[in-house]
Amino acid sequence: MAFNLVPGNEEGVKPSFIIRRKDLDSVVDGLVKDMRVFGVKSRHGKFVYDRINNSGELRLDFDITVMPPSRILLPAKEVLLQFELGTSKQPQPVLESEPFAIIGVHPYDLHAIELIDEAFMATNPDPHYIARRHNAFIIGVDNLNPSLRSFALDMGTHRAEKGFDLLLTDLGDEDYLITVGTEKGMALLKQYNHIRRASAGEVARRNQLLKEAEARYKLHLAISRELIPQLLEDNYENPFWRTRSEACLSCGSCVMVCPTCFCYDVLDEVQLNLKEGARIRQWDGCVLVDFARVASGENFRHDKASRFRHRINRKGRYVQERYGKLGCVGCGRCSIACLAEIASPLEAFNALAEAEKKKPLTGIKLEIRDFEGLHIPQMAQLIRVQQLTPNEKLFDFRFIDGHQLGHQPGQFVEVHVMGIGEAPISVASSPSRGEVFQLGVRSLGNVTTAMHNLKEGAIVGIRGPFGKGFPIPSIEGKDVLMMAGGIGLFPMRSLVQYILDHRRLFGRVILLYGCRSAEARILKDELADWARDPNLELLETIDKSCEGWNGHVGVITTLLPEVKMDITNAVAVVVGPPVLYKVALNELKNMGFKDEQIIVSLERRMKCGVGKCGHCQIEGIYVCQEGPVFTLSQLQKVKEAL
Amino acid sequence: MKPRVAFFEFTSCEGCQLDSLNIEAEILDLLKAVDIVAFREVKSGSSEDYDIAFVEGSITRESEIARLKEIRERAKILVALGACACLGGVNCLKNSLPMEEALKIVYGRDARYYDTIPARPLHDVVRVDHYVRGCPINTDELLKVIKALLLNKRPEIPNYAVCVECKMANNVCVYERGMTCLGPITRAGCGAICITSGRYCVGCRGLVYEANLESQKDILKKYGLTAEQISEKLNIYDSCAGVKR
Repeated sequence: MAFNLVPGNEEGVKPSFIIRRKDLDSVVDGLVKDMRVFGVKSRHGKFVYDRINNSGELRLDFDITVMPPSRILLPAKEVLLQFELGTSKQPQPVLESEPFAIIGVHPYDLHAIELIDEAFMATNPDPHYIARRHNAFIIGVDNLNPSLRSFALDMGTHRAEKGFDLLLTDLGDEDYLITVGTEKGMALLKQYNHIRRASAGEVARRNQLLKEAEARYKLHLAISRELIPQLLEDNYENPFWRTRSEACLSCGSCVMVCPTCFCYDVLDEVQLNLKEGARIRQWDGCVLVDFARVASGENFRHDKASRFRHRINRKGRYVQERYGKLGCVGCGRCSIACLAEIASPLEAFNALAEAEKKKPLTGIKLEIRDFEGLHIPQMAQLIRVQQLTPNEKLFDFRFIDGHQLGHQPGQFVEVHVMGIGEAPISVASSPSRGEVFQLGVRSLGNVTTAMHNLKEGAIVGIRGPFGKGFPIPSIEGKDVLMMAGGIGLFPMRSLVQYILDHRRLFGRVILLYGCRSAEARILKDELADWARDPNLELLETIDKSCEGWNGHVGVITTLLPEVKMDITNAVAVVVGPPVLYKVALNELKNMGFKDEQIIVSLERRMKCGVGKCGHCQIEGIYVCQEGPVFTLSQLQKVKEAL
Repeated sequence: MKPRVAFFEFTSCEGCQLDSLNIEAEILDLLKAVDIVAFREVKSGSSEDYDIAFVEGSITRESEIARLKEIRERAKILVALGACACLGGVNCLKNSLPMEEALKIVYGRDARYYDTIPARPLHDVVRVDHYVRGCPINTDELLKVIKALLLNKRPEIPNYAVCVECKMANNVCVYERGMTCLGPITRAGCGAICITSGRYCVGCRGLVYEANLESQKDILKKYGLTAEQISEKLNIYDSCAGVKR
């Protein structure tokens, strides 16, 4: 051993060493022998991360890479699990477990990885990410030559004191300072000679170089970064979003190159034998046209302006609210990649900048669930199908291993038809009805159409239950006015059944059901039972009169004047298509209902169910986690909700 | 019962059909999954009883209209194969000329033996159920569509621009390499193969949904192209969309 490697970590100072470039090269070549090594290489005069086979390929003097290193940790396409079609065999997870190294990670990218760690390792930990993260050996490098588009200095990400195993600083004259970040980093260094402890002067030299580099950042925020979230909140209605996004190509480049973007899509891929298949996760992004489109065709961010606003708010506000860190590290990649020259968050922040202040931010705390099987469905058997209308069926499922779903009324599950894909479906039955759970499904997209083709005895995968259901404890002891439109009666039914099964706990129970036609009414037999049930007051209507219908005609809100109730100790629960909320909520407020007395369930594209893929976001909210059930008071400040 | 599959061609180079079988690794599995009952390039004899028709080429003669309608009637599912069938393709470049002149340029004195009409994609003549785009097609995408049809599922074809796949491929942007590219307005699904191979996108898969053409033109202008060069570039594969027939 050529030197003493006792870290001597008093006063929180990280151990630091000096290595000559040629000796650093032998460290790199040693890593190449042991594992896959991704390093920064020159390509077409720019820099990219790619596999390197020897130290000669490695460039540590780069300004910025095209793609960020976080995309190595979350690859463009990865297999989550493998399944067999038409069998009850539990799908098997596919986990990568080979060690690898990334050499040449700038501080802003270390900050970005820290944010993704938060998103994928804290709440609903993602086993695939964790496996890859734990196998990653990260060698950072201080950025003394910032890109002209970078504003990392003002975002506070121009230096990093953690998030790396080793950190290099080019001290000039072929000398590199190595700052040790982890035991793993230390263990690697111990294998090499020709490394000596850095002197206090050499450690100070790093700080001096970083200080000097600060002057090389050409772009600056017009306000302090702490004010960005409030700035964006205050400027939600600013016409800037529309004018600035005119030139947007919706090409996705800005989100693809972003080191903090992690949203994804999930698809089934099958072999030609139609026997085996795999669930694939691949990159997706909120500026792409279909990102928030659901199977019914509704697109919750249908224009460029709303997608552009969402992305900038995500970078400067929503991610901060959720994870406690800004979603932009100031690397400048998006502004380099954007041909329309509109993507830079800095330019957006500066354009909106006005003197604003205050507001402490609080992260949303969520419970941690067992994560081993985050993406793995439980196999369930279809034991009965009832055709309710030409387009709607009610399915009875039971888990093969006999366990209960354990859901709350209002929660949803992800149904996986192997080879076709997954779709979020609300549970239509109450947990009080035993181990069989029911799903009401309209045939609409690939998965729901495939469900409609299933025969009794068929096997599907079920993940969940997910999300927050109806807040039963706050409904107990009160009068309940329920309004369901169309197939909104499916999720509402879980609550109706629950109430009927615990009838003494509730006051008056009124159910209003509206449908576009008599033929479109679902659950007709049950509606007939409820009409006779003294425990429940049922009022029905259809939009337009037709033969054979003797009941009320008109949209559902025309039933409200017939409801005579004291609303002081009441709650209203509304579930239906988006148009229902537009009319019903105002009417309820006119009756005197306050926001905290009105409960709604929102439809969005819940693709992963675990708060990661991003499709179900409404501003900073993940509907699959905080919803789908909300009180209006929870949504008071969420402009895109209704 | 295996689905009966037929391949047909209209005005085209027939390269997409050739590429349809350029799948050594999977061809045996494909033949296990479907019965190919008509395919002039690979087998003799053909049946008129088929479930799925893959049709290559654009429609450029009156006689082709009747033949395509007949195929449509026989097939339960009709899939347009390649840029000519999906967009009209390069054949549409002639549409800016009077037809007599186009014939003369191509056939000279023999022009009188031929007839021609403005070129058009299949969907201008019959209903098309699915599209396998590109010049030539991407065989992975063809297999994806076949598998989706076997599973009775709508194929999940990318509805975003080539830029997404180009970034997935870790490419340096064409515009940063001193060239121009139609990737930002062209539908993905090709894996950005041209850019990855050192070239640029010419838009053979057609415009992406809600393509921002005005913005793309502004960008090309900013990168030094004249209005004429811009319209030439955009017209190679998408001229049909802009030409009145």
